[in-house]
Amino acid sequence: MGNEFVLIISASIFCIGATGFLIRKNPLVMFMSLELMLNAVNFLLVGYSHFLKSLDGQIFALIVMTVAAAEVVVGLGIILTIFRTRHELNVDEIDALKG
Amino acid sequence: MEINDLVYQSAIIIIGLTAVCASLGVILCSSPIYSALYLIGNMVCLAMLYLLYHAEFIAAVQIIVYAGAVMILFLFIIALLGGKKELQEHTLQRTIAFGFAGLLFGELLLAATVGVTKPIEGIFDPVNLKVIGGAKAIGLTLYSKHLVPFELASILLLVATIGVICLAKFPLKQIKKSLNS
Repeated sequence: MGNEFVLIISASIFCIGATGFLIRKNPLVMFMSLELMLNAVNFLLVGYSHFLKSLDGQIFALIVMTVAAAEVVVGLGIILTIFRTRHELNVDEIDALKG
Repeated sequence: MEINDLVYQSAIIIIGLTAVCASLGVILCSSPIYSALYLIGNMVCLAMLYLLYHAEFIAAVQIIVYAGAVMILFLFIIALLGGKKELQEHTLQRTIAFGFAGLLFGELLLAATVGVTKPIEGIFDPVNLKVIGGAKAIGLTLYSKHLVPFELASILLLVATIGVICLAKFPLKQIKKSLNS
């Protein structure tokens, strides 16, 4: 009990996020799955910062949160622009860049 | 002391399992608005776990930035674009995705349980540990040891702001036309 629990919970949330990114077709839900994966990594960092008695993990989690916020804003802007031009929110239909 | 420790451990286990269940709800609900609500639940559970691991500042940031700002943005976009339900049919690709995720989980569990994951003693003694997660300790470390990543993060936020303004603005001609008509 202890650090194994953190590893198992974090691994489960990360895998659930990866599955969601693969099986869903709505880009918004895919973004939410991405957030799940980032949250799992954050949880691992904070938990290990507790077990190693060091602050570096928490600082790293803070930086990850900043990157995630920036990524969400840019990604939602792209989704909004795509919806404005194509009126479509299914990633299987948005394949104009496909070779 | 014994009872306190038991309560602490069981609280961590229960909240962790709730977080896993909420993340399952995110990917299994067919309506995006329910997915967003489950994601808020997951983030609040993780914030409680941060509190239990003595990371109070990170817990506050998690609630304010993630469960507050980011999820409000998500809910606004869902309300704007219309949260249509998506039907979930079983295809070959889906089966492959489940197999891949199961494999990934097995590998992660193997790496977590077989490898050397014993905690190493850090530089902080247990007396000092009580004040570690507070804003003061985080600020002292952030502005001395980790100054360069902090400044880079600020530049990243600026770039994201300018980028999203360029992405989401209407073309100028269209605005002029709508003003004239």
